[in-house]
Amino acid sequence: MGRLDLEHLSLAYAQRSGAFLALADIDLSIRDGEFVTIVGPSGCGKSTLLMLIAALLAPTSGSVRLDGRLVTAPGSDRALVFQDFALLPWRTVLANVELGLELKGIPAQKRNAIAREHVAMVGLGAFERSYPHQLSGGMRQRVGIARALAVEPEVLLMDEPFGALDAQIRQVMGSELLRIWERGRKTILFVTHDIDEAIYLADRTIVMSASPGRIIADIPVTLQRPRPLDIRNDPAFTAYRQRIWDLLQREVMASNSWEQPQRAAVS
Amino acid sequence: MSVPDISAVTQAPVGSGSSRASLASHRFARAVVGFMAVALFLIAWQIVGGNEIIRSDLISYPSEVVETLFQMSASGELGSNLVVSLQEFIQGFLPAIAVGIAAGTAFALSRRLHYLFEPLIVALNTSPIIAFVPIVVVWFGVGTQSKAIMVFLAAVIPIVINTMTGITQVHESWIRACRAFGASKSQVILKAILPGALPSVMVGVRLAVGRAVVGLIAAEMYVSVRGIGRLIQVYSTSERAAEIFVLVAVVASFGFVLVTLLRRIEGAIAPWSLEP
Amino acid sequence: MSENSIAPARREQLVLGIIGTLAFLLVWETAARFDLINPVVVSNPTRIAAAFVSQLQSGEILADLEVSLIEFAAGFGLSLVVGIGLGIAMGLNRLTEYAVDPFVWFLYSSPLIAFYPLIIVWLGFGFATVVAITFLLSFVSVVVNTVAGVHGVDPQLVRAVRAFGGGRLDVIRKVILPAAVPLIIAGMRIGLGRALHGVVLGEMFSSNAGLGYRITFYAAHLRTADVFVPLVILVVIGLMINQLGNAVEARLQAWRA
Repeated sequence: MGRLDLEHLSLAYAQRSGAFLALADIDLSIRDGEFVTIVGPSGCGKSTLLMLIAALLAPTSGSVRLDGRLVTAPGSDRALVFQDFALLPWRTVLANVELGLELKGIPAQKRNAIAREHVAMVGLGAFERSYPHQLSGGMRQRVGIARALAVEPEVLLMDEPFGALDAQIRQVMGSELLRIWERGRKTILFVTHDIDEAIYLADRTIVMSASPGRIIADIPVTLQRPRPLDIRNDPAFTAYRQRIWDLLQREVMASNSWEQPQRAAVS
Repeated sequence: MSVPDISAVTQAPVGSGSSRASLASHRFARAVVGFMAVALFLIAWQIVGGNEIIRSDLISYPSEVVETLFQMSASGELGSNLVVSLQEFIQGFLPAIAVGIAAGTAFALSRRLHYLFEPLIVALNTSPIIAFVPIVVVWFGVGTQSKAIMVFLAAVIPIVINTMTGITQVHESWIRACRAFGASKSQVILKAILPGALPSVMVGVRLAVGRAVVGLIAAEMYVSVRGIGRLIQVYSTSERAAEIFVLVAVVASFGFVLVTLLRRIEGAIAPWSLEP
Repeated sequence: MSENSIAPARREQLVLGIIGTLAFLLVWETAARFDLINPVVVSNPTRIAAAFVSQLQSGEILADLEVSLIEFAAGFGLSLVVGIGLGIAMGLNRLTEYAVDPFVWFLYSSPLIAFYPLIIVWLGFGFATVVAITFLLSFVSVVVNTVAGVHGVDPQLVRAVRAFGGGRLDVIRKVILPAAVPLIIAGMRIGLGRALHGVVLGEMFSSNAGLGYRITFYAAHLRTADVFVPLVILVVIGLMINQLGNAVEARLQAWRA
């Protein structure tokens, strides 16, 4: 079903100052139905990893396999949820959720029914005809999630999906996500820079090093499910937090971004 | 201004530093391809016109155009007419700036006054200014006065409108800051409103140049004794493409030089506002 | 802002506008009546009104209006087709953009009125020339704005469609074109105004029909009152085009915040 195997995955790309290694030799296996979070310092390549799995980027070496099949092109078996929502502003909520279904060639009536079902599942049934600009950030991301789930992917790839939301909403959205996940138990790969979020959501947390990104720890999280919001105060939770923080602190200090200014964004 | 290549978006690594390298190479590619396209065009033009593949008095060719340019300059034909056009332009444009800024300020400060004159402003703004040429000539004669009036009419409207918007859109926070430090009303105007409105006014002046040139040429083409527009009219009935191209280049350069000059002034006076 | 606070302001705007216009007409009329200005040369509102009536009755002005509108539609329509088509091609394909850009830039920065004699040399007098000038004046702003619209598309949206398995055609149809619409509309609005300029220019100098021609015709015969009729009609058309542009722009941007 939703089994992901990453073998010796690397990505390097050419820059004026020579080759830049973004990801170095990633080996990872994810079982069907696992909720895996990836946490690491800024610029460590965790988003790049998702893009490789989504096949929006091609690896320099290594392979991505879904259920044993080699992944070479984007498709609805791996659905992306973006940090900045990436909703089409000229489409209503319903039309946005239909997007993936349209691209799969599903006929209009069926599309409509599936979309409505998923819009209702994320709790936005009353907003089918609204436009993105009329919704709050949390609501917009719920549309993004509905859009991704509507195509019934094997794997859900979430790229810092709550990064643009404020701290309180983020926690609520996290528990919302878990509620939705419990219903279908899809494989989820969730990238974040928030350690608490990574632990709270996961069956397993992968810790990545600073660039070039490597996996430095693969930590099973055996906290109870379902996870109440206040589990963050549990001693077990705190132990995980401490462990990951220690690992990351070393990486953040060692990484370029501590000593040098960020590479400027191209305007 | 960077140009995201749509097809490349999905190939470039996420949040990449490689974009900076490719930006420079894009600029280079843009210059090279553009240059080659223009060069190819000129070469093709030279071949087709120079060898009479199409009648050269219909389309001319680059070397003939350059030759004609020198001829017309040497004979004084270009120079004397250009001087007249320039005079008419200045006679109309300078008053347009003065009146435009004054009126725009008045309208910004008194909404009532604005509403009284609004129909006139809107009518002059949305209608083709060229249509007024015959009436202006009937009223003000065939000499330089009517041309100056056309320039004035064409230029004053964008200046009024942009001055108005400039003043009304001065950031509240700038005014508040001045007030907070104890500025009087006239000081607020001097230190916050005028500088704040300046970029908008300059944009209005720049827009006015384009319109004014059109008004001037149209008026001169309609009827005049001298002027670039008259030259254009004369040659339009003579099937002398070379001369026409020279005049096109002259008029185009005139507009271009003026706008570039204005941009420089804008940069000197109000450097914080310059758009790329 | 509540409905109540808008209505009085707008009423004031309307009333003052009417007062201003009436005051202007009154002063003009009075000046003519008292021979402060030469009524034959300058004309006055009553004479102009009479000219309106007689021209409408004879129907001549309506024929001219029809000609102008046809030329306008032809020239503007052509500029839309070519302008948007070229703009999209340039926006999507870098090579095309780099190659065509210098020429577009040149046309954009020159007062296109200077090209008018060239067009006459090539196309002679009459309908074709007017349409050609109209096309030329309008097409440049359509292209420039279309290119800007295509370029201004959020790359993240492109990525989203790609991620869901969309091919290049899907990306163009579902993201790039809809996202470019606002700027394309803006370009069309500017093009509308310039097309009107083009029609008038063409008719005044190289035609024997249409509102622009009619203006020069009456002016040449020193029939000043008659000159105002096609002139006022053109001003009204300009106003209507502007209002139309506003309405279309508002409608198509319902999804913007």
